[in-house]
Amino acid sequence: MSATTHGAGCGVVLGIVLVVLLQQIGSLDLSDLVPTIEYLVVGAVVGGVLGALTGWVLGRNYLARHAAAESSAAK
Amino acid sequence: MLPTVACAIVAIALFATLPLSSQAAASDPALVPALSNAPTPYLSASVSWNGQNVSSYGSVSSALAIDLAQSETLFYNWTSHGARIAINDVRLEMFYLGFAVTTRDVDLNTSQSNGSVPLTWTPISVSYLLEGVYRLTASLIATNHTTMWSENFYVRGTAPLGFVALLPIVLLILLVYEVYGLARSGRYAMTGRKPTAAKPTTPPPQAPPAQTAATTPPSGGDQKPTEPPAETPPPSGGSS
Repeated sequence: MSATTHGAGCGVVLGIVLVVLLQQIGSLDLSDLVPTIEYLVVGAVVGGVLGALTGWVLGRNYLARHAAAESSAAK
Repeated sequence: MLPTVACAIVAIALFATLPLSSQAAASDPALVPALSNAPTPYLSASVSWNGQNVSSYGSVSSALAIDLAQSETLFYNWTSHGARIAINDVRLEMFYLGFAVTTRDVDLNTSQSNGSVPLTWTPISVSYLLEGVYRLTASLIATNHTTMWSENFYVRGTAPLGFVALLPIVLLILLVYEVYGLARSGRYAMTGRKPTAAKPTTPPPQAPPAQTAATTPPSGGDQKPTEPPAETPPPSGGSS
């Protein structure tokens, strides 16, 4: 599992949890099935894309820092 | 060319005859009195919650704030006009994700065309479980199980102390855990990646002098070359 995949997975769960949490705090109505499914799908897709981007950026930063640390340790 | 013209003429003729037939039906003196003499039966009804009509809570922004674990009493009032509409059942449902999660019914012993019925209802039995906005549907059911009247309104369930409910707390914990996992997802960039510095094409610069020092005899003596100690770690890059 790469950093992008792991970030996308976290983002999907975050998007779904956020939709249900908005209903619990009274900001969203999830009484009907069709808009609920739409909200959940949109939340999962947006969260997955944003999570994948975040994971990709964090993975690049981690690799850059790790490579710099290895090169400095080799010297 | 000829079939196209024929089809166009037929279509125009059909369109031209449709309004004429409808006008003829509407202006037929034999039909109009019969329709106007038949009174259209309808039902006028209202539901009040704490003396307030629930029609004023018809949107999420104007939802009625209630305690989901507290018992409430709703009053149904209805009157049938025209023909007699017999109501046999008074119902209240709460919907979540498209399903009726709770349903409360009051079955009337005798069907009534006019009446006022109280309905006592407790949304959920466990108070420390849910909160949030839910849609309720109040309906009047006829004897043939047909919904004769219904009205939707919204309630906002509040947890004890404002936040102590199980589901939002679990969701918050899950949210924090996933944010933490997302923040640490960069560590997975090393998964399946072999370190490039572990396989050098040339031995490190320290290795050849050590080997030469170990293999070449000292310049001034005839001693045999000594073997390197067994516990000496191999030079870097010799892991395979």
